[in-house]
Amino acid sequence: MAENVRIDRMRLKIMLRMMAVVLCLVLPCLYGCVDDEPPVQVDLSKREKVMALMPVEAITYAYLPQYSHTVSFQRHRRLLEYLRRSTGLSFRQIFPDTFDEHVKMVERGEIDISYSNPFVYIKLAQSGATAFARIIEPSGKPDFQGQIICRQDNPTINKIADCRDKRWIAVDPGSAGGYLFPLGLFYDNGIRERDFAKVDFAPGPGGKQEKVVLAVYAGAYDIGTIRKGTLEVVAGKIDLDEIRVVAETCSYPGWVYAARKGLDPVVVKAISKALFALHVEDESHQQILQAAGMRGIISAVDSDYNPVRELIDKLGLEE
Amino acid sequence: MRIYPRLKFGTKLNLGISAILIVMALLLLPLVGSMNAKSLVEESRKRGAALAESLAARAVDPVLSGDFLRLKNMVDEQSAVGDVVYAFVQNEVGHVMAHTFSKGFPVDLANANSVKNKAKVHIQLLADGSARIYDFASPVSVSGQRLGTVRIGLSKARINAAVQKQIAILAGLIAGALFIATAIGTVFAKRVTRRLRVLREHAEDMLTGNLDTQSGPDAGVHCWETQNCTLTQCPAYGEKRRRCWYIAGTLCPECSHEDDLQCRLQSCRVCKVFRQNAGDEIQDLAETFDVMALSLMTHIDELHEAERNLRDQQRLTRTILDVTPDRVSLIDTRLRYQGANLSFAKSVGLEVHEIEGKTDFDLFDEATAEDRHMAARDILVSGKRLDTQVFVQDGDKERWFHVVCIPVPDEHGRVGGLLRTDRDITDIKGYENQLIQSQKMESLGLMAGGVAHEINTPLGIILGYAQLLQEDTESGSQIYEDLKVVEKQAQVCKKIVSDLLGFSRQTQSAKREMCFNNSVMEAIGLVQHTFSLDRVFIVTELDDRFPIIYGDPEKLKQVWINLLTNAHDAMSNGGVIVLRTRLDTPAGKVSASFADSGAGISPENIKKIFDPFYSTKPVGMGTGLGLSVSFGIIEDHGGDIHVISPVPVESDYPSMPEGVSPGPGALFEVNLPLDHQDVENGESHEE
Repeated sequence: MAENVRIDRMRLKIMLRMMAVVLCLVLPCLYGCVDDEPPVQVDLSKREKVMALMPVEAITYAYLPQYSHTVSFQRHRRLLEYLRRSTGLSFRQIFPDTFDEHVKMVERGEIDISYSNPFVYIKLAQSGATAFARIIEPSGKPDFQGQIICRQDNPTINKIADCRDKRWIAVDPGSAGGYLFPLGLFYDNGIRERDFAKVDFAPGPGGKQEKVVLAVYAGAYDIGTIRKGTLEVVAGKIDLDEIRVVAETCSYPGWVYAARKGLDPVVVKAISKALFALHVEDESHQQILQAAGMRGIISAVDSDYNPVRELIDKLGLEE
Repeated sequence: MRIYPRLKFGTKLNLGISAILIVMALLLLPLVGSMNAKSLVEESRKRGAALAESLAARAVDPVLSGDFLRLKNMVDEQSAVGDVVYAFVQNEVGHVMAHTFSKGFPVDLANANSVKNKAKVHIQLLADGSARIYDFASPVSVSGQRLGTVRIGLSKARINAAVQKQIAILAGLIAGALFIATAIGTVFAKRVTRRLRVLREHAEDMLTGNLDTQSGPDAGVHCWETQNCTLTQCPAYGEKRRRCWYIAGTLCPECSHEDDLQCRLQSCRVCKVFRQNAGDEIQDLAETFDVMALSLMTHIDELHEAERNLRDQQRLTRTILDVTPDRVSLIDTRLRYQGANLSFAKSVGLEVHEIEGKTDFDLFDEATAEDRHMAARDILVSGKRLDTQVFVQDGDKERWFHVVCIPVPDEHGRVGGLLRTDRDITDIKGYENQLIQSQKMESLGLMAGGVAHEINTPLGIILGYAQLLQEDTESGSQIYEDLKVVEKQAQVCKKIVSDLLGFSRQTQSAKREMCFNNSVMEAIGLVQHTFSLDRVFIVTELDDRFPIIYGDPEKLKQVWINLLTNAHDAMSNGGVIVLRTRLDTPAGKVSASFADSGAGISPENIKKIFDPFYSTKPVGMGTGLGLSVSFGIIEDHGGDIHVISPVPVESDYPSMPEGVSPGPGALFEVNLPLDHQDVENGESHEE
């Protein structure tokens, strides 16, 4: 009896010791698991003032912010690379937030090379900028159109006349395809701006064409006006079957490269030469042109844009 | 230091529960803590990465447009989020465009972390003194073109605080669990210990002798109810104290009737009654305990009964041993006394219990002890019983003992002791002597009768011739006087011969119906006058019913005269003789008692007083035949005569004559039967 008790006690002691050993081995491991990463020593108290760097001297290149800066950058990054490479000049793409800012920056000489729509170019031309090149649209034509869109399931809008008394969202007061051209179409169809229940512009900055499509898609507006080709851009974001094109405007000369007033003609010439040298057949050029949303670049003169000037005059938009 | 065994059951249980929970807590807390910390860190890293990536994506536009205000707003928005320590944006060459630090930008921070163009985010742990910061670097790029880097710092202290909080909550939960478990354990332990306490109290009750306890619960379902049993003779039927499976010899057809309890229990386990009533181990224990108490009670009752029987037997044996006048003793082989009875103890002057262990030399004088010792040793050696008579001089008393020593065999058949019985046979010895004396007397009587018969005739001739010669001689002459002497002496001889013949019952008796009182009165009339001269007075109290008996009046008168004379002779200075006659019809006898106020008779003489020729009188005064002749006559009448001295107190004496002081006196009582048939028959037999 006493023997059994003694053996039981010994077993208990051995068990307790084993448990203690296991605990001693396991616990440090468990605690140790937490802090296994070697840190980099920093001293946050050592401070210095940060000064903005002065931008390098370069030819400034701006794309009218009809899309977001990112899209603008993506479209023209390769083109700028090409220009740097082929002209040996240094270029810097800058990103004005609005159409108005773009116009003013050209006026102030902050933008050397402006790539804008014809409507904005008319304004730029007034400040002394000169067109020197225009693009061939992906469609293959050097012209482009505006479109009036509505929701596929909107039964009240079937023709242009149905747009009366509807809520209209346009891209920007400075937009050509997204405002000016459709406005001309409405004018020709006897619909004035006051005949709409509401006329709003897409909120800035950037990405304004897409915003119009999305606003119509969302049902916030009955009709929207966009540049032809925008629907392809938003194809990944919405179901295009839900959007119906009510009408298209007539074609007007496409987007235009303009040099600011006072820009060295040698520079303009070098750029022009490089731009005109881009051919869609060339594989490397094709990538550049495709990214920029164009098929080619051809020479242009200011008079090419007289139809647009006429339209502006007709609509009484001349300030 | 045996602390643990002394702890209460409840404490032990709670200690066990606490130990388990504490060990669990010790094992789990770090594990859960580290797992939580890991997952939290991981979560924080993911969140930080998401923040950085999101910021990097949103920073593209402001970086492109060089919009410092928007960048500043963006980084400030980030730092508004809980554990974000800092956020800043670097351009493609690492120059800081916007940051959340209020006074200057930490120099070390700009190059503390970097991210490759194609990676989404890189996380680097930074240490600022003791503070730990996770730095997230995410590239700002568009179409693979690197525009800059977004950096966000997350404080690890806050992650750790969250981990600590979780561990604290967990510890709190475990503490709560510990409390609840301890409470439940206490309740449980109380339930168990309450039942154990009941058991213990009952055990204590049992120790103090109270076996009528019940530890187990009352039987819920009884077997005879469940089984619809009608076997009222079954020992389990109606039994409410014990469970049926503890009862042997049940009659249930479903039961196993093995003698062994374990075998029976095996079959009971499948029984419906068992399944309904059986409890846990403690209930089993309690029920077994109850059964034990019950059977113990039964056994104790039986034991008491047996003990009482044994005591009765012992008392009986002791009584028998003690009541017997024989001296009984038992000696072992070492010749020491193992026991003795009361008579033996008294004989040696000790108490019975003092005898044990003593030897003969402790109890007796040396000579006696030596004799007994030797005798005992001989018997132990020889194994033969001893049967002898021993004479003992006990003070002034002479005593005879019949001694029987019997060897007592032990369980192996060897002599293991000696039983000695000393029976006092002094009285038997006395009777033996009396018998011898009687036989002597009878022979003497026969011889005396024969002699008397032969002498009677020549004596008659001598008397006749003496009387004839007197007639032939002159009166007053010498010869005449001599003849007178011859005649007188011849007469004396004739009287002696006549008494001898009477003693030997060789005289003819003439029995008839007679008045008992008259016989007595006649005898008194003969002696009254003579006695009165010697101042001896006779007082009579005769039964006035005048009993009639069948006897010889002359011989009876001779008895009365003998007794009166004897009384007279005992009172030389005068006295009173009280004579009473009594008729006792139911006993069928008539008695006459003669009480005198004389000197009385000593006890030694009383035994011999009826012997022939025994006399206390001087030679010449009596022949010593009077009382023995009387004895013979009364015996001849089928009666008896005996003497008591001194006279019993109830015999009230009339007043004594003057100058006489009453002595102890003697009382002779004669009883004669009323019915004479037996006597007649007896006589006819003798004839």
